[in-house]
Amino acid sequence: MKYFARPLWGLLAPLCHAESPDLPQANEPAEQNQSILLPPPRSNLEKTLDEAEKKLKSSQDGDRLGAAKLLGKYPNARGTYLLLEGLDDESALVRRASIVSLIEHFDSGQPISDRALTEKIFSKVGDPDVEVRREVTAMIPRLSIGLMRSGVERTLVNGRMVFRSVPANLREDLFKLAVDALLDVDSIVRQNMLKYHSNLRLPIFPDTLSVLLSDKDPGVLLVALDKVRLHPQDSTVFEKVELLASHRDLGIRTKVVSVVRQLGHSHPLYRGVLRKMMTDDSIEIAAQAAVEIARFGEKLSDEMVEKIEAFLLQSPALSGKVESIFYGLSSLGEDGNRIYKSLTSHASGKLRSRAWQRYISFTESWNAPQVWLPALTDRDEDVRSAILATLRGRLPELGEPEIRTLIDSRYADVRVFGAESLLSAQADAVEATFFDLLIDEDNLVRATTLRVLAKLRTQGWEKIHQQSLLDQEYAIQRAAMDGLLTNSQEGIAILRDYLSKNSSTKIAQVIRIELQRMRVPLP
Amino acid sequence: MRSVRYILIVFVCAWAVPCSFGQSEQVESSSIRVMQLRRDGNLRIRYPDALPSLLAFMNEHARVKFDQDPLFIQSLTDERLFENPILYINCDELPNFDFSVEENDALRQYLELGGFLYLDAGIKASFLGADLGHSYAAWEERPEVGEWFSRIFPEKPFIPLARNHEIFRTFYKGLPTNEDLQLEKEQKRLPETVLTFVEQEKWPQGTYSLVGIKINGRLACLASPICAMGWGRDEFGSWIPPISFRIRESADNFDETLKLASFAGNTFEVTREDGLQDEIFVMPGQRPLWVREPTGRWRIYKYYSGEEISNYAHSFYARLGTNIFLYALLN
Repeated sequence: MKYFARPLWGLLAPLCHAESPDLPQANEPAEQNQSILLPPPRSNLEKTLDEAEKKLKSSQDGDRLGAAKLLGKYPNARGTYLLLEGLDDESALVRRASIVSLIEHFDSGQPISDRALTEKIFSKVGDPDVEVRREVTAMIPRLSIGLMRSGVERTLVNGRMVFRSVPANLREDLFKLAVDALLDVDSIVRQNMLKYHSNLRLPIFPDTLSVLLSDKDPGVLLVALDKVRLHPQDSTVFEKVELLASHRDLGIRTKVVSVVRQLGHSHPLYRGVLRKMMTDDSIEIAAQAAVEIARFGEKLSDEMVEKIEAFLLQSPALSGKVESIFYGLSSLGEDGNRIYKSLTSHASGKLRSRAWQRYISFTESWNAPQVWLPALTDRDEDVRSAILATLRGRLPELGEPEIRTLIDSRYADVRVFGAESLLSAQADAVEATFFDLLIDEDNLVRATTLRVLAKLRTQGWEKIHQQSLLDQEYAIQRAAMDGLLTNSQEGIAILRDYLSKNSSTKIAQVIRIELQRMRVPLP
Repeated sequence: MRSVRYILIVFVCAWAVPCSFGQSEQVESSSIRVMQLRRDGNLRIRYPDALPSLLAFMNEHARVKFDQDPLFIQSLTDERLFENPILYINCDELPNFDFSVEENDALRQYLELGGFLYLDAGIKASFLGADLGHSYAAWEERPEVGEWFSRIFPEKPFIPLARNHEIFRTFYKGLPTNEDLQLEKEQKRLPETVLTFVEQEKWPQGTYSLVGIKINGRLACLASPICAMGWGRDEFGSWIPPISFRIRESADNFDETLKLASFAGNTFEVTREDGLQDEIFVMPGQRPLWVREPTGRWRIYKYYSGEEISNYAHSFYARLGTNIFLYALLN
């Protein structure tokens, strides 16, 4: 579309200049007789709001709707007041647009905290239109700051000025609307009210909670279950929880386990629900309930322990519900350790690594290489890393067969661990194996071996390090240098000798710096 | 129809992986491992529950057997790359798009050998800037992704996928119904204006803006606006985190109103499905205000949030994610 805007621009330019600095001025002499393609001039904020206000009073629904939508883009006090008027519009579409635009004001940094204004918005919780009610109830956390504001009101009584405090409570009529909204026909409204009732200091009575615990909507049920702690001893509420323990939805039953677990500490009655859930059709739920019962110190039957084991072995990964059962196994004692052991061959890498960690820690298996050596053949590097982290610093003195198994591994990280383990190995095992490590294909294995040999001071280690200074890999040279630096006589002499023959290599520069730092005269 | 798909997927799961990628003898043939590239370890994780939740969702609903633990790799030169058929990258998690020549070579080889790369957040409209909590259905890859792939496949640009592409029907077809959302029949699943826009424009027939690269006649690399935000579920099955909708709306005389309304921000051009450009009007510090479409129509952006919006969006993204991953397996 082309805009031949110059004549119009000539009239409006003084008004619009601030927001359209790039547009040409009316009295510009050039190109006076040519039409120029220009965007239309935009009005300023005041004019835009004036126009919206006018349209908001129009008899045409479309005009009012457009104004309500547009006002959301101008988060300022005047825009907010105009939108509050829109909340009383006869058209549901305009009311919806008004509330959505008010939310936009909140989002754009124009919150409403005045008590009267927030009360006006919250009163729409009784709006006949469900979309308006949904939006208003979703806004409760934002509105509650204003709604719950206490203050002082000034009134005249018999000609005398009296100050009375206004409590931080919901206004009486709004309170009634809020109570009714808890049982709204729309499930989203019910859910929102239940979720945010505490923001309004709205009590949930046992009767209401019982009704909500029978709700058809799973979303409402999940929130209602969170509120059971408000009336745990009410018999109707307890009965509803018992019924929900056999609800068809797995998520609801999982929630019941979670809620009952918390309540079971103070209200032993709820442990009975867990006991019943141990016979749940879903092995997942049954296992969860059983683990929770074990946490209360109760002994589980062998059959139940087998069920838990079977469930964990079938589970695809360590996540969510499986995780809570997995960690709960520690309360099963020996049975738990046995299950951890069987999980070390699970298909999920994460589950295997955690199972190995738990098993090795609980049974102190770091003293039993026959237990953990097979674990280091795991294909998953993360699993091996987790096991190695559990073993480091805890190993007993290893013999040649164990060291040999480690250094024959196909995985470099295990061979590195083998090299590290020489530190706690028997002397003859070190003698018999270190050479194999020194010719390993992996640099890190060789470098680690050199460092270990320097620490152990094995016979002839200086010679090995001297040769290693000539290696092509910097990591090997560096490990050799570090080792030799710890021997103030022979080691330093070897380094000085190297410097005199190889003064321009990269490692030579580092050796020079290190020797200078030790105040050793350079060759 | 659904049962035929189950059979097909089970069949493919049993054979496709070992055929395409000769895994080591120790790999459990029963589960498929999805790899995820994480450059900085755990430093820049976006939506940590997302991929594991989606893998669990697919195991539950599509009866495939994915390993629910993604295999995290830090570099594309990781030798495990060639042991697994699907590589997932959330582009918002990458500190930068600097890949070494060796990594690019490895990726080229991986894709040519039959691997599949899914670049989540590989589409990102420029006006979103550093804001990671938004998606926008532009129809071209983000510039960094385009530049990266110009070094890997200089002769192959990203091409938008047609709305009738089979990827949108691999397992799920269409948009979530009340039954899918576990809502009663008479329950409103979305506000009217939102539902109309979603059904007709945002996600018609359950489709979305995807661009991809074909290699040897096979869709090997796919980029989408961020979808991972819609995959996470907690242990009770509730979706996390909440998602809101950006909807284009109009009203009487909006073309004139928005053309003249007060505005002191910037405009950004974003490529549409038809290749034309939308002009987005954004005020600094605010979400986009309105848009001028190439047809000359002006529409305003309205933002909707709430339980029903979030549940619907999550359901859509999980279904789309399922279609994408299963398509990757089947093709």
